[in-house]
Order: sequence, then C-alpha cells, then structure tokens
Amino acid sequence: MRSDSPVRSMGSDSPVRSMASDLRTAWLLTRGSGRREWWRVALTAVGAGLATAFTLGATVLASASGRYRVPLAAGLLDDPGTRSGVMLGLTLLLVPVLGFLGQCARIGAVHRDRRLAGLRLAGATAGQVRRIAALESGLACLVGSAVATALFVRYLLSLTEDPPGFVWAGIALVAVAVPVLGALVSALALRRVVASPLGWVRRVRPAARRGRGARILAAALGVLAAGLVLVPDAFGGYAPVTVVVVVVVLTATGAVWLTGVTSRLTGRLLAARTGSPAVLIAAERLRDAPWTAARTHAAVLLVTVVGTGFIGVRHGLLVVLSSREPDGLSRGMSYYITGIDLAGAAVLIALAITLSGLAVGAAESLATRRRGLAAQTAAGVPFSVLRRALLLETALPLAPAVLVAGVGGMTIGVWYGVVTGDSNWSMPYEALLVPVAVYVLCLLAAATSLPLLRRAVRPMELRYT
Amino acid sequence: MSTNSEKPTPLLAARGLAKSHGRTRALRGASVELRAGEILAVTGASGSGKSTLLHCLAGIVRPDEGSVVYGDTRLDGLPEKRLSELRRTDFGVVFQFGQLIPELTALDNVALPLLLAGASRRDAHVRAGQWLERFGVLGQEELRPGEMSGGQAQRVSLARALVTGPKVVFADEPTGALDSLAGEQVMSALVHTARESGTAVLLITHDAQVAAYADREVQLRDGAVVPLGVAA
Repeated sequence: MRSDSPVRSMGSDSPVRSMASDLRTAWLLTRGSGRREWWRVALTAVGAGLATAFTLGATVLASASGRYRVPLAAGLLDDPGTRSGVMLGLTLLLVPVLGFLGQCARIGAVHRDRRLAGLRLAGATAGQVRRIAALESGLACLVGSAVATALFVRYLLSLTEDPPGFVWAGIALVAVAVPVLGALVSALALRRVVASPLGWVRRVRPAARRGRGARILAAALGVLAAGLVLVPDAFGGYAPVTVVVVVVVLTATGAVWLTGVTSRLTGRLLAARTGSPAVLIAAERLRDAPWTAARTHAAVLLVTVVGTGFIGVRHGLLVVLSSREPDGLSRGMSYYITGIDLAGAAVLIALAITLSGLAVGAAESLATRRRGLAAQTAAGVPFSVLRRALLLETALPLAPAVLVAGVGGMTIGVWYGVVTGDSNWSMPYEALLVPVAVYVLCLLAAATSLPLLRRAVRPMELRYT
Repeated sequence: MSTNSEKPTPLLAARGLAKSHGRTRALRGASVELRAGEILAVTGASGSGKSTLLHCLAGIVRPDEGSVVYGDTRLDGLPEKRLSELRRTDFGVVFQFGQLIPELTALDNVALPLLLAGASRRDAHVRAGQWLERFGVLGQEELRPGEMSGGQAQRVSLARALVTGPKVVFADEPTGALDSLAGEQVMSALVHTARESGTAVLLITHDAQVAAYADREVQLRDGAVVPLGVAA
C-alpha cells in the first residue's frame, strides 16, 4: 500500500538528497553544539590544520625536481636529496597528528552518543546516524584544512610568484582529501556504535570477531615482510624510502600493540595484588580498557624511540663532522648543523603534539566520568586518592613502554656510532635523558587535567549529569 | 508515639537551612532532625529541594545559611578533609545510580571504603564478601557494575555504604532507577540491615510506597519542611 503521507522515512531519498539532508543535520548539530562540543570541533580543526600543513609541505616538496634556490632552512631545500629528507620528516609528523585527532574524536563522546540516540528516536537509521556523525567531523576538518591551506598558499606565494599548475592541483587535492579522510576515519571509528532509539548507545564488539582486524593487519604485514625478503625488486630493492616506510609501519603497529598489552598486563598484575585504593582504581581501569589510550601512548613510545635515537645519531654525526671539518666537508658546517637542528625541531614538534593528545585524552577521560567521580567524593573517597589514580592511569602503563622505547632508541644511536666507525666516537649517554624527560613531560601533561578533576568532583555534578 | 519531654537527642539536626544554586533557591529555612536508628523519609515534588537537603546533611555541600549538627559537631564549619573523612567513617551514601566505580568488580567496590580506612586487602575482601552475602549478591563478586542488573548494582551500593558500619546512611532515590520488584528487594535489604545494625537512614524519595518503609516522613515544599507526623 502506498502512503500519501508527506512525511517520508529518513534514508529513503535519493543518495544525493539524502547526503544533502545529512550534511544539513550535521551542520545544525555543529551549530547548536555546547561548550564541550566546541572544544572538540576546535581541536579537531587544529589537528586537521596541522595535518593539512604538513601534507601540503610534503606535496610541494615532492612536486619539485632538480636544484632550486630556496631562501629557507640554510639551503636544505635546494637539493633533491636533502629535500626528500625534509619531506620524509614532514610525513612522519603526521603520525602524532593522527594520534591527536584520534583523541579529539573522543571528546564529548558520551554527550555525542546521547545525541546519536536522539537522532535514532527521531527516525534516523543506524547508518544515517553514523554518516551524520562522520560529516560533523568532516566539517570540523574542513575548517582546519581551509585555514591551513589559505595560510600555506599565502606563504608559498611569498616564496615563489608563479607556482606551476600541478602544484596547485596538489594543493587542491590535499585541501579536499583531509576533510574527506577525516569524515571516513570518523565513520570507521563509529562502525561499532549502535545508537538505540530508546536513548542508549552501545559499542558492539562480538566476542567471535574480537581481534579479527588485528589478525588481518598482522597477516598483511606478514605478507609485506615476506614480499620484501623474497622479491625485494618488487619494492624497488631495499630503497631507503621503502625500508623507512616498512620500519615506521611495523614500529607503529608494534607500539600500539605493545602499549595496549602493557596496560592490560600492568593493570591485571597490580589489581590482583595492591592494597592501595588509588592503585586499585587505576589498575582496574587499565585492565578494563587497555586500548583506550593505546594510540596516544603508542605515539609517546614512537617519539621516545625517535627522540632517543636522534640524540644518539646526532652525537655520532657531530663526531664525524668534527673529524672531517673543514676540508672533508662539501658544505659549511652550519649547513649540516641546520639540518640536524631541523630534525630535532621536528622531533620536538612531534613530542608537543603527542603531549597535547595525552592531555586531551586525560581531560576527556575525566569529563566522561565526572558524575561517577562526584559520587565517589560524595561517598567520602578523598580527592587525593582520585588525583593519584588519575596520574597512575598514565604513569603505570607508560613506565615499561617508555623504558623499552628508550632502550630501542639507544640501540639506534649506538648502532649508528658503530657503523660510522669513527675512532673519536663515545657512548651517547645524553640520549638516556630523553626517555626520562618524555616520561616526566607525560606526567605533567596528564596533570594538566587535575584542575578539571577538582571541578568534576563538585557536588553540583550530582545534580545535572 | 513519644512526648516532647521524652524526645531523644537527635543524631543529626539541621536548623534553618538555606541554599541557592545560582538564582534558584533550593532550600528556604529547612529544619529536620534524624534520631539514632531511625528511618526518616523526606518526600516532595521534583525540584522541592530534597537532594540539596541530603547534600547539606551529609556535608557534601555547605548551606548558605543555617546549621547542621551531627552528634556534638557542627558540620557546616568543618574543613572539607574532615567532612570527607566523616563521610567515609560515619556516613554511608547511596544514590540512584553512579556511585559504583564502573571499572571495579563488585567485591572491590565494596572493599574500597575499607581500603581507604587502611584495612589490608585480604581483610577488606573478607568483610566485603560478608556484606555481599548479606545483601544476597554473593557469587557476583567478580562482576563489574555494567554486568549487573540494576537491582544487583544497587544492593552492591548498599553493601558499600554499610560496610564501614556507618551511623547514618543517606539514600537519594535508591530505587528510582529500578522496577517495583527490584525496588522492594533493595528497600527490604536496606531497612532490614539498618534495623539490625541500628543505623539511621535518611531516605529521599518521591515514591509513597518507598516512603512507607520509614518510621517517620517529612515533606519538603518549596525548600521548606512540612511535617506529616508519624507514618503508618
């Protein structure tokens, strides 16, 4: 029987009209966002802006061939060789940016989930709800991407008056791709979220499918590794770029896995033995949700490996350069020093982004639990216990992970020194300070959410949340 | 019914409490007394100030005006640290939901106040297990709040509120999120245990059936207490 009702079922339109309707709803939701939602939108836009800037930089550098005279970075961008190094550095900076964006997506998750349930109650299908949420993220990414692109183009035009057409094409592609990818990643993150029309949201994770993604990823990496060993020519021989990409992918995957497993093991071991309430709360939370902070912790781990390794390699490089100076060097010492310092700056930027992600994650974790925390305080759990538990949630899983990362980074530094074979080389002990510094900075980043904890446990939270 | 001359000294007494949340005046001179071992129901419409009264009496918030006296101690002047300690040792608090830590098992949730008081892990678990048994949730020790039914979770909450042997239990709509059967089970468990241990209970509810479990009922209207006399 055909209904003459003017009200059509949501989702039954043509795909274009349906998408336009979803986009309009996403815009309405974004416009009507509360303070916490605006934080998410703003931070997501900042993350997308950074991702756009780094990708645009790498794209423009990739589009250049031959020698140029670029009045930047002490001539590091003049030659194709050093240019590709800078390009690789910019690409690697995307790793902490993606971790940061992942954390931003979690801000206001509870509030967002309630809105998704409201949409379902209003007649939206589960797929439509996911699409609307994804478009919301896409809109935030679009703002960040547009601002970053505008600033980048302005800067580029100050360096060169007439960039070739393919550079413009690359810029346009990146400016569009970042928001599209942002929306896709958001849709992927929400794939297990089922918003019920009855006003509750659950994350679907059937036991039988648990770990299937991890197994597929492991299999893909295994095939890639086997391919590299058996048919190296198919991967361009053992070209440095191939090796670096493989090492980065393997390390990143391993880092996420390691931090997740470390969190669960640490939580399990401590929860079964501790008599301290703060440790018990932190340990049980780690055991219950070991993967929650795994991406950010993995970024910390990677930054620690790279940072420790960088200090070791820098130490070796300076020894080599000093022994060859002045006749054995094709360029002035400042050229090499600038290159090394720029690499160090990139590591510091990566560390800053990672710490921001960690701080955002800690704040979000608090915001999500504020009613429960207020109830704990009302029941007499001292604030100091909750404060210690919050810091331990970061401190406990990171301690072994940073230790392993420090050892890995140190190994890279020592390996480089041994390979160069310079008789003046000595152990780069200063590299050992990197994991210690990273660990302390991580605790400080987590501690930035303590003022929020003070607010979260206010009795007023018992009334309105 | 006792006469005024035989009236026992109140365990907890509030006089002329006033409290505002921004421009909203939640309490306007509310006065109430709770005697040792008594179960007192505070009823009233939504927004009448019931929860704010409980928060003031339990030392969770400070009243803008008036006094709260527990035994011979004035609560409204105590520092937060001392109030927190009091809530841990002398008071138990039960809310509609949210007081259990979602990541902790039922056993650990009940053991937590004991651990906070300095008990060893083993002792805390033994006593927590006894309280879980008392509330009929033995066998659910390893479940987390998300894995329990509403009634089970609320009985675990009661066990947690009573495990330290408090003198007063504050219960804010303890059955508000439960169906009638689970609500009855929770109220029976609370009243039975309170009577057995001589614990006073201040019960906030808008449900007449729940209020009927109390020895006495007072009603809040527009932030002021309206006495109703002895409940049936």
